[in-house]
Amino acid sequence: MNRAIGRVGTAVVALMLVLVGMLTYLQVIHADSLANDDRNVRGVLRDINRPRGPILTADGVVVAESTRVDDKTEFDFQRNYPNGELYSQVVGYQSFVLGSSGVERTYNDDLVGKGLDLRDPFGDILGGDEAVGTVVLSIRDDLQRVAAEALGDQRGSVVAIDPRTGEILVMYSNPTYDPSPLAGHDTQEVNAFYRFLTSLPDKPDLARAYRERYPPGSTFKTVTASVAIEAGVATPDREFPVLNELDLPLTDNTLQNFGGQSCGGTLAESFRRSCNTTFGQLGLDLGDAFVPGLARFGIGDVPPIDLVPAAALSIGPRAGSFQEDQPLFAFAGIGQGPVATTPLEMCLVAAGLANNGVIMEPHVVKEIRDSDDDVVRSVASREWKTAVSPATAQAVAAMMVTVVQSGTGTAAQIDGVTVAGKTGTAQAPPGDPHAWFVSFAPAEAPEIAIAVIVEHGGSQGSEATGGRVAAPIAAAVLRAYLGR
Amino acid sequence: MNATTAHRNTELRLGLLSVGITAFGYVLVQLPDKSDIPADLWIFVSIFVGLYVLAHMAIRQFAPYADPSLLPLAAFLNGIGFVTISRLDPDLARTQVGWMAAGVGAFVATLVVVRRVRTLERFRYSFLLLGVLALLLPLLPGIGKTINGARLWVGIGPINFQPGEAAKVFLVIFFAAYLVDKRELLSSGTRRIGRLVLPDPKHLAPLLLAWAVSILVMVQQKDLGSSLLFFAVFGAMLYAATERGAYLLTALVLFVGGAGIAYNLFDHVRDRVSTWLDPWVVAQGKGFQVVQSWFAFGTGGLSGTGFGRGNPQLIPNAPTDFVFSAIGEELGLFGAVAVLAAILLFVGSGFRIALQAERPFPKLFAAGLTTIIGVQSFVIIGGVTRVIPLTGITLPFISYGGSSLVANFVILGLLLRISDDNARARGEGRRRVSSSVAA
Repeated sequence: MNRAIGRVGTAVVALMLVLVGMLTYLQVIHADSLANDDRNVRGVLRDINRPRGPILTADGVVVAESTRVDDKTEFDFQRNYPNGELYSQVVGYQSFVLGSSGVERTYNDDLVGKGLDLRDPFGDILGGDEAVGTVVLSIRDDLQRVAAEALGDQRGSVVAIDPRTGEILVMYSNPTYDPSPLAGHDTQEVNAFYRFLTSLPDKPDLARAYRERYPPGSTFKTVTASVAIEAGVATPDREFPVLNELDLPLTDNTLQNFGGQSCGGTLAESFRRSCNTTFGQLGLDLGDAFVPGLARFGIGDVPPIDLVPAAALSIGPRAGSFQEDQPLFAFAGIGQGPVATTPLEMCLVAAGLANNGVIMEPHVVKEIRDSDDDVVRSVASREWKTAVSPATAQAVAAMMVTVVQSGTGTAAQIDGVTVAGKTGTAQAPPGDPHAWFVSFAPAEAPEIAIAVIVEHGGSQGSEATGGRVAAPIAAAVLRAYLGR
Repeated sequence: MNATTAHRNTELRLGLLSVGITAFGYVLVQLPDKSDIPADLWIFVSIFVGLYVLAHMAIRQFAPYADPSLLPLAAFLNGIGFVTISRLDPDLARTQVGWMAAGVGAFVATLVVVRRVRTLERFRYSFLLLGVLALLLPLLPGIGKTINGARLWVGIGPINFQPGEAAKVFLVIFFAAYLVDKRELLSSGTRRIGRLVLPDPKHLAPLLLAWAVSILVMVQQKDLGSSLLFFAVFGAMLYAATERGAYLLTALVLFVGGAGIAYNLFDHVRDRVSTWLDPWVVAQGKGFQVVQSWFAFGTGGLSGTGFGRGNPQLIPNAPTDFVFSAIGEELGLFGAVAVLAAILLFVGSGFRIALQAERPFPKLFAAGLTTIIGVQSFVIIGGVTRVIPLTGITLPFISYGGSSLVANFVILGLLLRISDDNARARGEGRRRVSSSVAA
């Protein structure tokens, strides 16, 4: 029996060694990613009883702050979110039950004062524990309010960016929610509110502005035109036939113009009037060259925004699939079919065209300040993508100007300012089409780029178009920014 | 100084080390809150020292030639477990002190009552009956209770216990005795099926029946951990008794078959497997425990957060099934591996006792008891680290739980009894040896 018992013993030792191997994986190799996982609330628990700095808008409005409380719990501080509904999808929350999200998470170290480059380290020791950072958003409260008011109770998003720096000026979507209950000190109540929040059918906890994908419809013609011009497939002067509908290869289907009208002429004219037939043809002409052109705009790449959870990916047609899926490339040319983009991505497209073809990395935080209000760190402006050459960007920008001057986007006109824009009315069955508008201004030296979507046409439903519903909202924000 | 005294003195010194480590841990656990030495430290240390000395004196009296390492190792594991429980839930810790006392009581009783292991061999069928009865007890209406979804409890008055823990020991006695009796017949086959030589089914049948009944009962009671444990332990014993690899293969086939049937028959088995394969998709639901356990290990890292400084209370059932995750978080890889090493040393001593036994019954019995401790540790630690699907079972000597602790102390007593028998058989009881040889 001894030999067999010896083997059983060896087997038990082997099992224990397997456990040691697994523990090494969990506690050494995989340890950091587990410790820092979103769903691991231990990080929040570690920070929850430390003083935590406030979060302000660029124009100084407090959107998150901590107050010392004695509510007979183990917690010394209560995190408050004044203007909660206006900022929840950017600022996020700090919850000891759910972990943290948004700016509260990405800038946690700054908020608790970790790694702050203090000019007076001894003052910190003597002065106690008040060395927390103030996080200043690039978002302006006045613009954010204009956007929220213009959107009203319609579902949708507004995103505005300074195209020169990538600073986000507005980021709002409706419906929204107040995150304050999530920062509560009672586990049951927090969980109950979270369950309620996530059970609502219109998903107020979904940050539509950067987490939801929609068909971009005709606003995507800005991208199709850019890629075509950049690839040498077309110039603004290239003539296209005037058609009611475009025959699609490999099928009996056709691609029709809006309202079944006949439409065509030069690329510039087709752009101004938003002719589907022309841009469907461009999608076919580009073929497999379309996909790498889209990639230069960041389609198929997650925008590196400084928020958790990360931005959603915007998608287009599959690389190398033109031979088998030709009709999809025609639909992609008009921003339908395989194309789905976030409002953030469409704003980045507008920002890139406004900035001579260069898309800057988007970020919601401008700088970190210490308790003396001195700037200790500025968030750097970095290039993300070079979408097109300056010449192409300017050619497309010129076409976008005509859209607002005399095309489908006249509702975005502002006295004394040249506005560039593109409307979109994107089919979104089973509901009514989404109304879109992307824009930047002033066209000569752009300072702000904006994307607006109103889901399913908002209050106007099937009557809605991007020009009628979304363009006025964009115009309201542009006016407020430009002081007109 | 003779071998006895040297052994017992070693045991006492090692025991003081275990008590010291435990007391130090207990102070650390209280520090973040109070920054003061806990007022009840001396009460706790006195109880712990008292229980240890009591167990030690019992060994001196009733099993003086027994192995000196098992009791200190058990005390170390028990102490670490107690400190972790007191850190998670002070009320539970107070109850656990009671269970520790009951465990030591059972330990002393085992040494007093079981003077010779051979006695147990004679009552093999009584133990089989007792074992099966104990397994069925929770199914009886009136006294049976369902706690945490598993019907393994019996409640009499205010006291709840799991008779399955006792069944474990009873059935191992039966299996050891039966296998020793029939091992010649079992290892020399009489029937041939192709290349496979099978023993007379007459001898195999009772074995398979007992095996199947115990496992089916436990699966029915949703005690998957115990089913897994039984299967492994009986398989190992069958192999050890016959030295026939074919049985190992048969056991494996039976296991795969049984697991497949259980998977198709029971929702709770399917849940465990799918949660094991991907807990992240159900991280807020069924996978919550395992995901939290992984977070605990990851946060603990190499050296841990320190006793009392982590958040192991975030893991559900931390004092029982997930006690090892709590240790991993606060003591890190170092602490977790130290606990594993202690278990391994315990198991190593157990197998050494089995190897030293001259008669077949104590040999197989010791191997069976030791395999329980080793496999049970693997099943639960493997479960909380996601090496295998999670099945709720206690970590020997460490987890909170009275029945389990008492059963473990009985196992400890039986192992020491066999060890003492071994030494007497070798004549150490009569022969005086010099201390240098003994050391």
